[in-house]
Amino acid sequence: MYKKIALAIAFSPRMEALVAETKRLALRFESELVLIHVGEKTDELTQKLEALVTRLDLDRAKTKILWKEKGKPVKKILEACEEEEVDLLVSGALKEEGLLMYYLGSVGRKIIRKANCSVLTLIDPKVATSDFGKVVINGTQLPITPLVIRRGLEFSKKVESAHISILNEIKMYGLMMGTAAEDSEEEASQTRRLLVQDEVKYVEDILKDLDHQGLRINIKVTGGRWAVELARYCEKIEADLLVVGDGRKLTFFDRIFPHDLEDILSTLPCNLLIVKN
Amino acid sequence: MESLNHKEVINLLLQLATMLIMARIFAEIARKFKQPAVVGEILAGIIIGPTILGTLMPDLQTYLFGSHAMSNIALDGFIQISVVLLLFIAGLEVELQVVWNQGKNALKIAVASMVLPIIAGFVLAYAFPEFLGVNINDRIVASTFFGLTISLTALAVVARVLMDLGLFKTSTGLLIIASAMIVDILGWFVFSVILSMSESGKEGLGIWQTIGLTLAFTLIMLTIGKGLINRVLPWINKKLAWPGGLLSLSLAICFLAASFTEFIGIHAIFGAFIIGVALGDSEYLTEKAKEILHQFINNIFAPIFFLSIGLKVNFIEAFDLGIVGVVVIVGLLTKYFGAYFGGRWAGINRQESMVVGFGISTRGSMDIILGLIALDAGLVSDSLFIGLVILALISSIASGPLMGWAGKQKS
Repeated sequence: MYKKIALAIAFSPRMEALVAETKRLALRFESELVLIHVGEKTDELTQKLEALVTRLDLDRAKTKILWKEKGKPVKKILEACEEEEVDLLVSGALKEEGLLMYYLGSVGRKIIRKANCSVLTLIDPKVATSDFGKVVINGTQLPITPLVIRRGLEFSKKVESAHISILNEIKMYGLMMGTAAEDSEEEASQTRRLLVQDEVKYVEDILKDLDHQGLRINIKVTGGRWAVELARYCEKIEADLLVVGDGRKLTFFDRIFPHDLEDILSTLPCNLLIVKN
Repeated sequence: MESLNHKEVINLLLQLATMLIMARIFAEIARKFKQPAVVGEILAGIIIGPTILGTLMPDLQTYLFGSHAMSNIALDGFIQISVVLLLFIAGLEVELQVVWNQGKNALKIAVASMVLPIIAGFVLAYAFPEFLGVNINDRIVASTFFGLTISLTALAVVARVLMDLGLFKTSTGLLIIASAMIVDILGWFVFSVILSMSESGKEGLGIWQTIGLTLAFTLIMLTIGKGLINRVLPWINKKLAWPGGLLSLSLAICFLAASFTEFIGIHAIFGAFIIGVALGDSEYLTEKAKEILHQFINNIFAPIFFLSIGLKVNFIEAFDLGIVGVVVIVGLLTKYFGAYFGGRWAGINRQESMVVGFGISTRGSMDIILGLIALDAGLVSDSLFIGLVILALISSIASGPLMGWAGKQKS
């Protein structure tokens, strides 16, 4: 599924945990690992990295270290990803001081916005082990959703997730049900039922063509904005991974009137996999 | 504080009861014929107004709606509030996320579907003001107003039609909905500009000041205002009675915003609309709350407003076939072809553009409110207003069948 997985390293206190997590993913997906560093290549840093590679027992034949000496970090990381034809870029989130809240800094956001490959953001990487037991996938009717569900299930299989929830938002539920108030009570309840059924059917139709044997999948339907509902649901069930899609480039207006995805990026409820076209 | 006397109270209550009962009866009849409720409500107004009841039983009609001046003033207060709430709910219906997701295509359709009718309406009214019945003393403003009125789309009505046709959640349906939302937003901007033109010669604000204020108010409401709403709403949802707390406070901020825009010289309804957009866009306003607000406003206040139209004019006496014919033909053709060409411009195929064209042509809410404002301001004659109401009726009745028909055409 992922032939090349990349990680941008910054010699931060969490670097070791991030490399360990990425290594585990590379093993699971049988992929090559690319470590990218933007900044000057000094003897000290080279030695540090060497020591880390040895300590974490990285497969040298399948690990490539790229030093990008000059340039803006976002640009250089994305350039390296394109050159190396990376399929998945791993990044770490930032943590709110003293709180158990995670968010993406400006570099992380820019990478997510501009990357052509999928991006996995880990909120709390661990050296020992990390579990992706509970996965939540965005099943809201969007052009990219069939791909998101497919990638989400493939990922879940590889990381042996125990529970998968596919969450669907009924678009403009309030407007539709408000309009349905012109009908009798029975007709309005029928409309409500149909709206829910329609969402379930949408996901089931996508699942029909996918191999999901051995996976426990639960379809949930909500009314409300998907990003907010997904974040709330992830918090409620204490999910380990949220899978969403990003099918388009963001514009200036998305900054003023935030795009759904931005809502999730500002407070990450759990690890986040963003699937790109 | 002055209050109504015994007889006036009785009269007011009878007025409201009659309006609500008649609106309900005719909305139900409309429903039987698979028509939007607004069609029935307007017809109910024509029946209990001077047109039918006033002709058949003039004494009863006069007792109900013409015997107590104070009751009528109180009723007018109700109608004003109904208009503000209708605009508030229209704002709540606008989902910026849906608009962004549909992007440029919706924008192209919305703009094209407005530009053609506005230009055609303006040229027509400006060239033949006396024939059409626009105020010759305020020719430019009245003509632009007429153009704008025939260029609007009724989002609530088109949503109903799309649901009945099972098209709401299709890509065409969402495109129509998003375009209608943009039409609403653009329509209110043009409206505020026209208002400033009509007042610029007097004591009102100048055109640039009004545009600046309108834009500033909108931007502030959608950024800082929305931020505030996002902070306050979770508290309201958690600490206050639900949905009681939310209902009373959301209406309160709607009235506050409306009074503020009225105060700064852009019409009250603009404030209600924009605060509706800001509130509706907040993730903390649950869909359940939106549903309740919809039901409460659409079934109590909307009927009062739509029925009140029939009370204002005599649809037989002031009926002018020439004016009605011209308004209906120009209104239908320009709006349809505007949207159709907008669709083609956006790269949408012929058949889908036809469906979009008929969908966007659905009227019967904001256009009537604007028409009434123009009538009250003396910008248009009774006959022209009747033309606008009939255009709204025909387009909302016809849009469903026409969309269904266009959907079956080969691309």
